[in-house]
Amino acid sequence: MTRRKRMLANLEQDIRDHLERETQDNIDRGMSPDDARSAALRKFGNVARVKEETWEVWSIVWLEQLLQDVRFGVRTLLRSPGLTVAAIMAIALGVGINVGIFSVLNGLALRLLPVPRAQELLSVNQIIHFQGRGDRYIHNGANWFSYSEYQDYRDHNHVFTGLVAYEPYIEANLRDTDVRQVLGTAASCNYFDVLIEHPSQGRGFVDSDCESRRAVVVVSNDLWRGKFGSDPSLVGKKIVLNQTAYTVIGIARPGFTGTEPIPSAFWAPLTMQQALEPGIDRLSNDNMSWLALLGRTRPGVTMEEVRADLSVIAGRIDQRHSGPRRTTSLAIQAATFFSSPEERGHLIPVASVVLAAFALVLLIACANVANLLLARASVRHREIALRLSMGAGRGRLVRQLLTESLLLSLAGGALGSLIAFWSFIRITQLVTSYLPHDFPPLAVNVAPNLHVLAYALLLSLFTGIAFGLVPALRTSRLDLNSAMKGDSTQFGTAKKSGHFLLSILVGSQVAVCMVLLLAAGLLLRGLYTAQTIDPGFEMKGVATIFLDLGKQGYDPVHATAFMQRFRERIQSLPGVVEVAQAECAPLSHDFSGSEFVVPGRADTVGVEYNHVTPDYFSLLGIPIVRGRDFSPAETHASPGIIVTESTARRLWPGQDPLGKTLREISGREYSVIGVAKDAQVAHLGQLDTNYLYFPADKGDDSRSYILVRYSTGFADVAKGIRDAGRSIDPGVSIDVIQLEDYLEVWRAPSRIVAALSGALGSLALLLCSIGVYGMVSYSVSRSVRDIGIRMALGADGAQVMRLVVWQAMRPVVIGATIGAALCAAVSGVLRSMMFGLGTHDPIAFIGMPVFLLAVALVATLLPGRRAMRVDPMVALRCE
Amino acid sequence: MSTKEQRERIELLQGTLDLLILRTLQRGPMHGHAIAKAIEFRSDEVLQVEQGSLYPALHRLIKRRWISAEEGTSENNRRAKFYALTSKGKQQLAVETGKWDKLARAIAQILRPGEQEEA
Repeated sequence: MTRRKRMLANLEQDIRDHLERETQDNIDRGMSPDDARSAALRKFGNVARVKEETWEVWSIVWLEQLLQDVRFGVRTLLRSPGLTVAAIMAIALGVGINVGIFSVLNGLALRLLPVPRAQELLSVNQIIHFQGRGDRYIHNGANWFSYSEYQDYRDHNHVFTGLVAYEPYIEANLRDTDVRQVLGTAASCNYFDVLIEHPSQGRGFVDSDCESRRAVVVVSNDLWRGKFGSDPSLVGKKIVLNQTAYTVIGIARPGFTGTEPIPSAFWAPLTMQQALEPGIDRLSNDNMSWLALLGRTRPGVTMEEVRADLSVIAGRIDQRHSGPRRTTSLAIQAATFFSSPEERGHLIPVASVVLAAFALVLLIACANVANLLLARASVRHREIALRLSMGAGRGRLVRQLLTESLLLSLAGGALGSLIAFWSFIRITQLVTSYLPHDFPPLAVNVAPNLHVLAYALLLSLFTGIAFGLVPALRTSRLDLNSAMKGDSTQFGTAKKSGHFLLSILVGSQVAVCMVLLLAAGLLLRGLYTAQTIDPGFEMKGVATIFLDLGKQGYDPVHATAFMQRFRERIQSLPGVVEVAQAECAPLSHDFSGSEFVVPGRADTVGVEYNHVTPDYFSLLGIPIVRGRDFSPAETHASPGIIVTESTARRLWPGQDPLGKTLREISGREYSVIGVAKDAQVAHLGQLDTNYLYFPADKGDDSRSYILVRYSTGFADVAKGIRDAGRSIDPGVSIDVIQLEDYLEVWRAPSRIVAALSGALGSLALLLCSIGVYGMVSYSVSRSVRDIGIRMALGADGAQVMRLVVWQAMRPVVIGATIGAALCAAVSGVLRSMMFGLGTHDPIAFIGMPVFLLAVALVATLLPGRRAMRVDPMVALRCE
Repeated sequence: MSTKEQRERIELLQGTLDLLILRTLQRGPMHGHAIAKAIEFRSDEVLQVEQGSLYPALHRLIKRRWISAEEGTSENNRRAKFYALTSKGKQQLAVETGKWDKLARAIAQILRPGEQEEA
C-alpha cells in the first residue's frame, strides 16, 4: 500500500470521530443531542469539500493537469482541422520513413534469431592477434573458429547448456530431374537440439550421426515445397548433393531458415564437410576460421561469467599454439543475423549514414511544422494574452502548448508508423526482387517489434518537443498590452524577432536540405560514372560460364578431359567467335592475390593475379603493348608473366619492364615477358592495384571460368553451351551469364543508394520549398499594411517584389552556403562507402545549389506576386 | 501582475494554519479534534478556524514529512489517529516562527506610522 493510500484510508473514520467528539463536547455543555450534532457539523464546515481538499493534497496534480491539457489540446486542434491535418501529414511522412528504415535495420542487426528462447543464445566470436608474422586461413568469417577450437569450447565451458558450430553458405549441386545449385549448412549434431528447432517432419541430428559420419540431411521447408513438391514421403528417401547421396531425415519448420541472413536450403552433419566440399579438408585444419559458434546459456549465468569462463579456454588454446605467440580476445554478444565484429564493422557505418540522412528529412519536416505553429500562434495571440492576464503562469502555458504539439507529433507518428509497417514490408520485397540475379534472397524480417515501437515512440516525442518548444516559448512571451488592444500587425520589435525566428527556421531547413541534395547529387554523379566508365576491356558480346568441377565431384584428370571436350564443342557452335579460359572472370568478385619480392626493393608488394589462356587478351580486347602474349605451350611451371602497364610503372619506374624479375616468398622467380594495357578487371574504379597474369594450364580445370565471344544472340549461344555441356555429362551444373551482368553487381549498390538518396533529396526539397513558401506568404500577409504604406508613398510593384524576394532569399542563401560547407566536410564519409564518387565533384557542388536556389526563388515569387497586388487603400483601411 | 499577489495571500493563510498546528503539536502527540480545540482555546477563541480545514492541512504536513500519524487510543479508550511532530517538523517550526516574527514586526512598523498620520 502506498503512503498516499495508507493516509487516506481512514479519513472518513477520522472525520466521523471528530464530529462525534465535538457533538459530545456540545452535549456536555448542555445542548440537546440534535442541536449538538448540527452545531458540530456547522463548525466543521463542508464535509465533502474537506474530503476533496484532503484528497487533493495527495493527488498527482500534474497528471490531472495533463489530462486537462490533453482535452483542451484536442479541442484546439480540432478547431483548426486544416492546420492539424497538414502538420500531422508532415510528421507522419518524416516519422514514417524513419521508422521504416529503422525496422529494416532492426531486422538486419537487432532482431534476435528466429528460434525459441532466442534471448538465451549468444554468438561467440574471436579476434586473433599474432606477435610478428602469423598466418591464419579464413573461410567465410575472420572471427570464426576451427573445429578443434570448437571442440575445446564445447567440452570445457561451464556456462552453456549447449554450444553449436556450423559452416554456412556451402554451395551444393542438388541432382534430381535437373541440376540446381543450393546453399546449405554443415552443422554440429547438437544444432537442432540446442536451437530448440525440432523439424516439423522426421527428426533433427543426434550425436551418433556425427560420430559415425552418417550421410543424413535435414531439408528446409522451402526446398521441400519448391523442389520436392511437398512430397509427403520425402523423409527416408535419398537426395544427391555434390555427388554424394544423403538420406533425408527431417524437414525443417516453415519459417526456420537457419542462423544466417541468407536462408539455408539444407543442413548436413559437420562431419560430412569433406563430402560436401570435395578436395578440401577443413575439419583437421586447426588454423582455419570457418565455424560460427552459437551457445545457449545456462539459466542465471551472466554475460560476465560467460566471458570469464570462455577466456580461460581461449588462453589455453593460445598457449598450445605453436609458432608466433598468439593472443585471442573474444567478442560475445546476443545472437542476431549480424553478430560477428567483422559484419558489424561493415553494417554500422552504413546504417549510421542512412539513419542520419533519414533523420535530416524528419528535421526539415519538424521545421515546417514549427513554422505552421508559429504562424498560428500569431492568430492565437488574443487567446494567449487573455489567459496570461487571467493569471496563467508562463510555465503552465508552455506546458499546454507543448502538450498540443506532442499530441500532433504522436498522432503523426502513429499514422506514419502504421503506414511504414504496412509499406516497408512491401518495399523490401520490391527492392529485393530487383536485385541482380546472383544476389541471394535475405531472410530479413522487417515486421515491427518492441525495438521498432520504442524507436517510433521516442522519435515522435522528440519530434513533438523539437518543433513545439520554440513556438511555445515564443508565444508565451507576449506583450499583453498590444495583444489585448488587438494590434495584430505588431510593428516594431515583436515583429522583428518573429521574423528573425522564421528566418532561422527556414535557413536551417535550407541548410539541411542542401546537405541531403548534395549527397544525393554526389551519389547520382557516382552512379553516372559507374554506368559510363570504360573498364578497359570489351565486355559486350561475351558469355561466361563458371565451372567448379572439383566441387561437382570431378578429379583433376576427368576435369581436364571434360574441359577439353567442352571447349572444343563450344568453339564449334554457330556464332561463337573465340573461347578463352581464366581463373577469374573480369569483375566477378573472384580474385587471388599474393605478396611478391621485387629485387632491389626491401619490402614486399601485394599483387593480384589471374591465370589466363593466351586468347584471353584478344577476346577481351586488352592489347599487349610491349613484349608478347603467352604461347599455348606455357604452363604453371613456365617463368614468363605479363604485367599491366601501371604495375610496371609502379614497380620499375622509368625502366623497361621486359625481362625484370619478381620473386614469390617461396623464392620462385618469374620474369616479365609482356606488358598488357590497364583494365579494371578485378575492382571497378580502382586503377592503382598491382596486377599480373600467369599462364593457365591443366591445374586450373577443376575450377575456372570459360569466356565465350559470340556474334549472334545471347540466348541461342547460352542454350548451345548448356546443351554442349549436358551432352558430355548430364549431371554437370552449367550457368551461363553475360559478362556485363558482373558489372551490374558492381553497379547495383550505387543504383539502389542513388535511387534512395534521390528520393530522400526530392522529399527534402519538397518540404523545404513548402517551408520557404510558408515563410514568405506569412510575412507578406503580416506586412500588408507595411506594403500598403510603401505603395501609398509611391513604391511600385517591382520595388515591393524586390523587397519581398530580398527578405526571403537572405536566409535561404545563408542556409544554402552553410549546408554546402557542411556537405563538403562530410562527403569523405560517403566516398569511403560508394564506388566512383568524387569528394568535391564540381557538377554536383554547382548544380545542386543552383537548383535549390531556383526552387526557393519560385517558392518566393508566388506569394511575392500577392504582395505586388496589394491595394494601398484596402491595406490601410483594413486596420 | 495581480495574480502573483493573490497566490501569495493564499499561501500566507495556508502557512499560518500549518504553523499553528506545528506549534500545538510541540506539546506532544494529539488527535485531530484535540488540535482544533487547542488552537481555539489558546487564541482566546479569536481564531475561529473552520474545523474541517484542519484535515487538508494535516495531510499536507504529513506529505512534507513535518508530522507523522499513528493509530493510538485516546483518553476515553477510543481508537484515534494521533499526530506527532517529526524532527524535520521541529526544525521547520523554528524556521517558520522566525519568519512569522519578522513578518509581524515588519507589518507592525508599516502600520504604526500610518495610524499616526491619520490621527
